Amino acid sequence: MTQFIIRRLLQSIPTLIGASIIIFLIFALAPGDYVTRQFENPKMTPERMEQLRALYGLDKPLPERYLRWAGNMLRGEMGDSLMFKKPVISVINDFIWNSFLLGVAIMFFEWLIASIIGIYSAVRQYSVFDTIATLIIFMLYSLPSFFLGLVLLKFFAVDLRWFPVGGMITTGSNYTGWAYIMDVAKHMVLPVATLTLISVGGLSRYFRANMLEVIKQDYIRTARAKGLKERTVIFKHALRNALLPLITLFTLEIPSLFAGAMITERIYNWPGIGKVVLQAIYVRDYPLFLGYTMLITVLTILANILADVLYGIADPRVRLK
Amino acid sequence: MLRKKWLPLLVVLVFALSVVLSACSKPQETQPSEQPKQEQTTPTASVQDSDNWTKAKDPSKIPEASKSRTDTLIIGLHEPAGTFNPLFYETAYDNYVLSAIFDGLIEVNFDGTYIPGLAEKWDLDKDNNTVTFHLRKGVQFSDGTPLTAHDVEFTYYVLADPTYDGPIDLSPAGIVGFKEYQEGKADKIEGIKVLDDYTIQIQLEKLMGTSLSDLGIPVIPKHYYGKDFKKGNLEGIKALMQKPLGSGPYVFDKFVPGQEVRLVANEHYWKGAPKIKNLIFKTTTDETAVQALQAGETDYETSNITAKKDNVELLESLGFVDYALLPTNGYGYIAFNFYQPKFQDVRVRQALTYGLNRKAIVDAVYQGLAEVRNVPQSKVSWAYPPEDEINPYNYDPEKAKQLLEEAGWKLGPDGYRYKNGEKFTIHFLQSTPNPVNDALVPIAVENYKQLGIEFIAEPMEFNLIVDKIKKAKEKTFDMYFMAWGLSAEPDPYNIFHSKGSQNRNGYSNPKVDELIVKAREELDMNKRKELYHELYKVLNEDLPYIFMYQRHDLNAKNMRVVGFQISSFRDFTYSLYQAELLQY
Repeated sequence: MTQFIIRRLLQSIPTLIGASIIIFLIFALAPGDYVTRQFENPKMTPERMEQLRALYGLDKPLPERYLRWAGNMLRGEMGDSLMFKKPVISVINDFIWNSFLLGVAIMFFEWLIASIIGIYSAVRQYSVFDTIATLIIFMLYSLPSFFLGLVLLKFFAVDLRWFPVGGMITTGSNYTGWAYIMDVAKHMVLPVATLTLISVGGLSRYFRANMLEVIKQDYIRTARAKGLKERTVIFKHALRNALLPLITLFTLEIPSLFAGAMITERIYNWPGIGKVVLQAIYVRDYPLFLGYTMLITVLTILANILADVLYGIADPRVRLK
Repeated sequence: MLRKKWLPLLVVLVFALSVVLSACSKPQETQPSEQPKQEQTTPTASVQDSDNWTKAKDPSKIPEASKSRTDTLIIGLHEPAGTFNPLFYETAYDNYVLSAIFDGLIEVNFDGTYIPGLAEKWDLDKDNNTVTFHLRKGVQFSDGTPLTAHDVEFTYYVLADPTYDGPIDLSPAGIVGFKEYQEGKADKIEGIKVLDDYTIQIQLEKLMGTSLSDLGIPVIPKHYYGKDFKKGNLEGIKALMQKPLGSGPYVFDKFVPGQEVRLVANEHYWKGAPKIKNLIFKTTTDETAVQALQAGETDYETSNITAKKDNVELLESLGFVDYALLPTNGYGYIAFNFYQPKFQDVRVRQALTYGLNRKAIVDAVYQGLAEVRNVPQSKVSWAYPPEDEINPYNYDPEKAKQLLEEAGWKLGPDGYRYKNGEKFTIHFLQSTPNPVNDALVPIAVENYKQLGIEFIAEPMEFNLIVDKIKKAKEKTFDMYFMAWGLSAEPDPYNIFHSKGSQNRNGYSNPKVDELIVKAREELDMNKRKELYHELYKVLNEDLPYIFMYQRHDLNAKNMRVVGFQISSFRDFTYSLYQAELLQY
């Protein structure tokens, strides 16, 4: 097992280098740079623009820029964000945990609700519950997040005033301890609800499909024939086997916990990393964008390895070599 | 066994329920504050709002949530990035926050003229090319240290540093010794002299009417920012980015990234301590700005509500929201590529202006809340010419056709105009996404087809258009739509002078060059005003651009906040120290 992990980690080095080159090139070759947006500033002179480009190192040839950036990354230095004028790592640190909090809550409710609906739909295939659940889920699934977000905002925050309009804490508050947790929880309800409702659809389909497949297996019939209770059959014999492919899905979702949700964060004013990165793309803040993208890349590679390892542990039929 | 498995689910349900219930209980908490409602008299403020506010009439609609904040003003703002140093800020929103913490040497008045700020007066010496600032005595930074000429000198040195990458560009001022300092040939800037603690003199290569705007900087304290300052190393100053210290009406307290900036009143403020003790800038977005105001979560919204009829009607329907429509400091225009010979003929440019229904375009986008402009200046500025002296170029296709005929562009058998075998086609760079282009392109295609001109729009991203414009000489395009921002100083040298750094499409008119130089060099305001009126008349006739429109910015506030005297040039931050919260 250790050998397998080490080998996979070593294999991921070229992947990482390749990914970094592609990410760098896509960003560097896109038209415009951080100084370009000064184009609409009537006071800007070409001399000053050149001076700024030199200060930011944007005047150097591409290979040199890449090597300098990659070298810094190897030493753990992501550089300074151009628009925040402070280290990229501290910008990411300011925002990513807020996104993570949101992501974890969404993932929790998404898996919980999706599993309940998916399992019941499978066990009672084509029942009234299955039909209605499928209908509702697909309706929510097809809604764009900004639309559902704004609808929920209008009803629950503006009309009913149950929840705040946006943000993460009550403006000007100095809560600590439990009061702080409750305050953040209250602000989380609407964004979490929005993204959970939208994402539950896809996942519950996986649950349903996997369960359906397993339920038709011989060993389920055997379990029933042994006279086991239906509950034991479903939850112990069927569900455990149906969960196997979902391990991979679950593990691969981990990087997205840190990725942030650009649109929902914007609508609910959630101070997450998603909208910060979107802004970084608009203004071509390359140290911030590249630093963040590399972070997600590393997480994705690690999650892949983790998925393989976990799958090997859970399913004895799979041998890791 | 089974029960154990259901336990986590139960815990989650209880948690979820408790969240919902706690949220429901919120309105009840605020109810007690409704009771002490004995007096019916309307409270009044010592400083009223300026006349450009449309006032709300129904104090009973003020949300309870806002009423309960008796000593805190919350201003909704597009997310501040946290670059809290007036020499390094990256967005206009950060600059709003900074205007509450720092002061400038000079202030901008309602019409864009300059009035004293930290400098109580200044001498412009034409013979010696010097500007002398006399600082106000008794001004303190918020930590109690007096503000002196040494702080001003220090600020100039930071701005002149070779590694300085902030938004202020001192080089156009032409300070003697500035270049030598930047290039490393001198350790001091020869032209900056502190005469005494409250007087600083700047020696310029040439004193001009624009010098004041180039030199009128915000001032940062040397004793706080200057500890580790050495030429070529601004890291010590940047490290204090999130602990700003200035002399403005409010003192920085706390920044919660992505959420809010908290400030408290500066008791030592030289104009008088602010009447509202706490000031919070809260992040809002276009989508939620009105909702936050409506729910009472913010008191003032400055940049996030687009000036559209729908939004204005919505604000009016709320009953307790005052709003002000301020003409934006800027204008939209369609540029001609003067490297294309066909645009060298002024009659062609006029024809294209007469022949385009600009009002229809502007109304489609801004629903009547933007005006067609015919000169490159804001209606609010002191330099704006009298309306009756400029040609309004009202939509007139017949006149346009006539002008094209005169210019030699004759109708061919296919319905298009030709001159010397060349068909009149316009290749238009359409930046997307852009709401103005969405309205402009279909109308232009239709309007110009009527004149016998083929209008071909090529949609592309903004950055690509920038690349193309840089190569205007290669004649790959004819026209594009863009907008310029305007500041209090009207000098358009960069844009319209034939040697201007932002004159990208080869516009050149000796008369315009002459007037621009004359106007920027003149020191007497009345003479400058006349020169600009003349310049704008020439530009209005000569049409370096098809001038399109000036739109509006919408400021909105809860009627319980009063004392905002604002204009396009003098923004709300100047009023913060005098604003009050009325207790309804």
